[in-house]
Amino acid sequence: MRWVLAVALGLAALAIAVSLPFWAGGYWTRIATGIFMWAGLACSWNIVGGYAGYINFGQVAFFGVGAYATGILMNDPYDWTFPATVPAGLTASAILAGAVGWPTLRLRGAYFAIATWAFAEALFQISTVLDITGGPAGLSLPPIVDERLFYYLMAAAAAGTYGIAYLLLERSRFGYRLTALRDNETAAETLGINTASVKVSAFVLSAILSALFGSIFAYWVTFINPRSVLGGDITDQMVIMVLVGGLGSLWGPALGAAILYLVNRLLWSYWGDTVIYIVILGVAIAAVVLFLPDGLISLWPRHRRRNLLGAALGRLGRWKRDA
Amino acid sequence: MFLQTVANGILIGGIYAAFSIGFQLVFGVLDVVDFAVGGWVMLGGYGGYWSARLLGAELYVSLPLCLIAFGILGYLMGPLIYRVRTSRYARPTLMALAFTFGVATFMRGGALTLWGFDTRSVTTAFGGMSVQLLGLTFPLLRLIAFGLALVTTLALLAFLRGTRLGLGIRATAQSKEHAALLGVDVKRISMLVYGIYTGITGMMGVLLAAIYSVTPEVGIRYTLLAFFMVVLAGLGSVTGVLAAGLLLGVLEALVAIYIGASYSYLLVFGVLYLTLLVAPEGLFRRPRRA
Repeated sequence: MRWVLAVALGLAALAIAVSLPFWAGGYWTRIATGIFMWAGLACSWNIVGGYAGYINFGQVAFFGVGAYATGILMNDPYDWTFPATVPAGLTASAILAGAVGWPTLRLRGAYFAIATWAFAEALFQISTVLDITGGPAGLSLPPIVDERLFYYLMAAAAAGTYGIAYLLLERSRFGYRLTALRDNETAAETLGINTASVKVSAFVLSAILSALFGSIFAYWVTFINPRSVLGGDITDQMVIMVLVGGLGSLWGPALGAAILYLVNRLLWSYWGDTVIYIVILGVAIAAVVLFLPDGLISLWPRHRRRNLLGAALGRLGRWKRDA
Repeated sequence: MFLQTVANGILIGGIYAAFSIGFQLVFGVLDVVDFAVGGWVMLGGYGGYWSARLLGAELYVSLPLCLIAFGILGYLMGPLIYRVRTSRYARPTLMALAFTFGVATFMRGGALTLWGFDTRSVTTAFGGMSVQLLGLTFPLLRLIAFGLALVTTLALLAFLRGTRLGLGIRATAQSKEHAALLGVDVKRISMLVYGIYTGITGMMGVLLAAIYSVTPEVGIRYTLLAFFMVVLAGLGSVTGVLAAGLLLGVLEALVAIYIGASYSYLLVFGVLYLTLLVAPEGLFRRPRRA
């Protein structure tokens, strides 16, 4: 009975998701597109940040590489079609991630965070002085006729991202290796895990997924510049969404992304100002770190942490009875 | 020209070092990488701006004022930092990074909400003055900042080496557990160190806002520079920060003059990244000290 209900609910959700652009109107379709994009980006960040325990403050670099690959290749001397630029962007970011990840992942903790941040900022600076990226002025892409296309592209990319994350991180040895090295890297090594190669694989995977969203994003907004696709605040958003949703859980990033993106857009449409959003973000992270380190997802009924809490409360009750 | 550039670089480097000393102390003693360091500089700048604007305070009033005010603010925030740092949750270092990242975001958003995007500058009578020496020109404000950085570093070193409290701080830096076993109140030490850090950083923010200017967005830049210097200096080395600051200042000034200002950031990030890869422990690290 239970699974019949679950399947019915899933099919209903799927039907709503597929038909949404036809009844929700342009505004809500754009918001839904944005939610899919941020959910996917947050998930890609979570692969390294949550599962491997390496806080990457330079994830935007790969988003930007994807965006610029599409932007450059769809423009004048090349004039590729959009589907052809996506693999190019993914390959470029994979190579870059391998080259950068190999030395950088030797660093631990805060040093890794600083190094990735420096790397992303260096890429930002490079993109402002190069000719091929259009410098600070940016690049324009050929505009698209029907915006609904991007809803489906983003939705498919997000579904693919979560599917890959589910299979590789929750249902395979790779995921266990990652969490093992997160919890104790030395112990993982003594168990025969090649931590260096596992870490770099995770890093490359997360870079490829980010680049995918970068490519679609560039085509969607049809205009990119260094600030809009390589700016540090994009990484900040990903980090915050994951932290608020739940670090190292599969669905936490999606929850955080949906909530925060909605808050952002609603503030924007009612006040025309997102400055207060930055304040909300700051308070949200601080509060989550202090009081709910596993994020909002840990309030979900059957979540592990909630069970721990329940067990602790039960023990407390017994202790009170005994006393 | 070359000498003047180097001299300018040294002065700027001194200022860079000045707001990184406290950051280094927090890094070394609490193991907390404070993402909010630029935020404290920024708030200090606004502190200087408002005390000049509302109280008509000159620098010799507003500097100690901000030192004390931000010191108290940091001391009161200390328990939160301590709580995050000693949480049972796995990876407290990363959670501390995330927490201060939240604090930095909050500061930036709060400053934007309260004061908007306008650029402000601390008005002071020392503003236009400069000193001529050996054919070189030294702006007085930068000299003051440089001197203050030197004095602060020396005072901090004297405090760490010469007093019982400083001994407690150094013990905490080496091992919190052992220090606690020997009767050091680690929580109080943590609050104190965080207060010293925010006080110094806020005070230097006043000077930076007088030399340059302040907007809510400057925080990130100073955070970056502080990271740079701490990485270059190595964990916990307070004197290394001075050397790293001077190095960075001179490097930046030379690149800006001889290669182009748009490349100076690129160089900073490049050097930072390479240093991390080649010598993640820092260039000036001395083993086993606070």
